[in-house]
Amino acid sequence: MKDYAERNRLVLHFIVLPSLLLTVVLLGGLRVDADTRQFVFLPPPLVTLLLAALLSSLFLRAGTIDLHRWLAIDQPLLTNLARLLTLLALFFASAQAFNSVLPESGLLHWMFSFFFLWTLWTNQFSAFDARRLLRSLIVLFATAFVLKHLLVSSLYGGDKGWLSRLAGSLLQGASISGPGFAPSTGYISFVALALYVCALLMMSPSAEGHTKSPMLNADLDVPKELPATSEQ
Amino acid sequence: MPRKLIEVIGLIWTIVYAVAIIWVYATEPRTLREVATNTQIAAGVYEINQEKFNNGLELFRRDQFRAARDEWAGADPAQKDARTQFYIAYAFYREGWGRTYSDDALFKEGTAAVTRSISLAPNGSLSVDDPNLQIHTAAELKVELEEGTERSWSDLNPLGVFRKRK
Repeated sequence: MKDYAERNRLVLHFIVLPSLLLTVVLLGGLRVDADTRQFVFLPPPLVTLLLAALLSSLFLRAGTIDLHRWLAIDQPLLTNLARLLTLLALFFASAQAFNSVLPESGLLHWMFSFFFLWTLWTNQFSAFDARRLLRSLIVLFATAFVLKHLLVSSLYGGDKGWLSRLAGSLLQGASISGPGFAPSTGYISFVALALYVCALLMMSPSAEGHTKSPMLNADLDVPKELPATSEQ
Repeated sequence: MPRKLIEVIGLIWTIVYAVAIIWVYATEPRTLREVATNTQIAAGVYEINQEKFNNGLELFRRDQFRAARDEWAGADPAQKDARTQFYIAYAFYREGWGRTYSDDALFKEGTAAVTRSISLAPNGSLSVDDPNLQIHTAAELKVELEEGTERSWSDLNPLGVFRKRK
């Protein structure tokens, strides 16, 4: 029984987790053109790399990733290499998750970017634990997803509804338009975000109160204390 | 399964998957079919559809140039076969050629196709041994197409109407 659990944890850690993160990297920049129904692959813009760097810093601060245990001098080189690749995959998956929910161009792109930057920057100075950070991220991405794929897509849509007309009046002179993407883009983005959240859940410490991750560091017996949680 | 084996499998899988993603973003396939074609090219097993190529050749010989090009485009969707691109360029040449003037738009597309053909050919040199053609090398065809789009005083030479299509 113990052997099975150990083996499953290793498979989750070294195979499933990187696969999930890399799938997010793949899907995060994938769009489907509304007219031609062809794939459009958008590499992560520079701003999403900055956002991913800020988010990585939050992961470290909140204890989602304990760098000293992920990469340790007393671990085999193979283990360190595998974990380093997983961390890289996490970084690019974060960038692509942002890419997935950012409008592609125009004023809204910069408004969303500013919103993300502001949120992540202020969070750098807040007290976080891993679970609270995860909840916060789910809300952040869910909000951005709804705004982009439900509200903003209606602005870009062919039929100009009241929202589109209102936005056009409010933002007169400013470019809010962007490329038109098929509704399937929203589904792809949803799957990418769902996989990203699943990967984060797999990485975060378990919910039972003990600090050991459900699968990571299975081979390490040293307990890890979470940072003290304080209400904001 | 020992720990080391799982780690090795995970490491190799992660690297292969990451390289595949970088490749997808670099090649930007527009459809799933293009993904499959690009995979064949990457694996070195890409081949043109010979049946479509032969259909195109039949049409070309009956002066159905547009239809021939459509067939050849289907035969070589990735535009990676030098010989097919040569024939596409030739079809543009024959359709665009005129006694008094040449169709610049068609000649430009032909130039693009023959340039592709030259870049795909080994050592940048392609020779097609087809008795139905009067131009047998990609370099000659390129010169012919480029001269067709150039403007010169010789264009006003009335004897030009006696020239022949190659």
